[in-house]
Amino acid sequence: MGLPDSSQDLTSEMEVDAFRRIFPLRFFERHLSESLRPDARPLDKARDTIVNLGLVSTADGSALAKIGSTTMLAAIRMEVMTPSTESPDEGCIAVEFHMPPICSPIVRPGRPAEAAPVISKRLSDTILSSGMIDLKELCLVSGKAAWMGYLDIYCLDADGALFDAALLSAVAAFSNLQIPVVALNDNGRIVAISDEKEQDNASIIEEEAVNKEKRKLTLKNIPFSLTCILHKNYILADPTTEEESIMDTLVTVVLDSSDQMVSFYKSGGEALAYSSSIKSCVELARKRAKELKEILGEMDVD
Amino acid sequence: MEYVNPEGLRLDGRRFNEMRQIVAEIGVVSKADGSAVFEMGNTKVIAAVYGPREIQNKSLQKNNDHALVLCEYSMAHFSTGDRRRQKNDRRSTELSLVIRQTMEACILTELMPHSQIDIFLQVLQADGGTRSACINAATLALADAGIPMRDLAVSCSAGYLNSTPLLDLNYVEDSAGGADVTVGVLPKLDKVTLLQMDAKLPMETFETVFALATEGCKAIAERIREVLEENTKQLEYRRAA
Repeated sequence: MGLPDSSQDLTSEMEVDAFRRIFPLRFFERHLSESLRPDARPLDKARDTIVNLGLVSTADGSALAKIGSTTMLAAIRMEVMTPSTESPDEGCIAVEFHMPPICSPIVRPGRPAEAAPVISKRLSDTILSSGMIDLKELCLVSGKAAWMGYLDIYCLDADGALFDAALLSAVAAFSNLQIPVVALNDNGRIVAISDEKEQDNASIIEEEAVNKEKRKLTLKNIPFSLTCILHKNYILADPTTEEESIMDTLVTVVLDSSDQMVSFYKSGGEALAYSSSIKSCVELARKRAKELKEILGEMDVD
Repeated sequence: MEYVNPEGLRLDGRRFNEMRQIVAEIGVVSKADGSAVFEMGNTKVIAAVYGPREIQNKSLQKNNDHALVLCEYSMAHFSTGDRRRQKNDRRSTELSLVIRQTMEACILTELMPHSQIDIFLQVLQADGGTRSACINAATLALADAGIPMRDLAVSCSAGYLNSTPLLDLNYVEDSAGGADVTVGVLPKLDKVTLLQMDAKLPMETFETVFALATEGCKAIAERIREVLEENTKQLEYRRAA
């Protein structure tokens, strides 16, 4: 089929749009053969990434991450709980990922997106196994009280690379987290105190002083991820929803700030990966991790 | 507790007839046909509209020659002080119904038979007046989606505390136990589309509070109109360029 010449008038513009809808794979392959994608990105370049901190005032820590149009809002709320008997010195983190119907035309109320629980579990596993958070820092009184952090990530706009954006927003939210100041009152219960009451000596004991110093978590080994698409012998970094829907083999690589691999994920798909493609994906992820580190660095994350 | 001090200032420094600061923006969700963010003080709501599109659940279709309007209201887990926010709790279901009926009244559904319009509302931060913020956000999102409407549906709340009618209650004032009147209005047609109140009020007081809320609605309508005009100017500018 002859392809329309884009230097013509409006009629040929319409034909390009129609071609894109009716023969999406050929449309993309035409671009890939020139090492470009329809939004003029080279194959190994990710979209513009923005991170904003502290947007949700009702939460103890929050962040908004945007990769291209994909938007994720992450917020953390801390609650006090009793630690388990096997690990009396450790707190706990619960990660949940939501895809409300506003984010995409394919999500309907009553029919949650298939991707949501999958990404939720992967995020939870990645964050906990990366060792970014030392759970011992969440301890208040050994054996009696520890922090439970509820991390909720909401997808506000789903345009591909959901896992990457979600992980970025989660990391940024942790960097923004301010643990509320608490004191141990006479009944042995933890109560939240406001700044004025800090001066009141009646119920303040040593523990509270410790909590006052440790208002922020130390984040080591911050994980950064990159999702790529494998198609024939092309590797596309940071796909959009359109790209993900026609070429279905996704590979996600998660590296941490000390260049170690935290997680690798390829869940089937039409294209089989040679070890050379896997190495290229890891290389791309390494470059992307550097970019993301700089972006987070501008927001004063260590 | 004193909600209005002797000088007439409320807890957050507003006067009795002052609204909270409004921030409104449209076109925020790229995947949606129309979307808007609406903030009234600390209450932040995102609305996304998908439609008109094919009906997905034929059993819900009652009237073939009108469009089907569906609405879902949900609050983020971190939106309120305590984290317990169930997805399908009764309040969310009630609000979904109320907002759906309000918007249905102002959309020209007879122009779009055999189709479905979805309005999704996500509350990111709740500080009182979420109902009103949702209706205002939904109006903006519907306008952004180009769905024909009779008029802009705007909403505002007002209450009565310490013997003073107060406009646009925040969460603290709302939970004080006084009256809370939410009014939804079509300003140009001068019609009331939503009116809800829980509490006891003498008739004259109710009329004063209702009038105050309606005034608030008119102010919001002005603001919404400004936002839409500014957006149209931007579109025109970009198109001409």
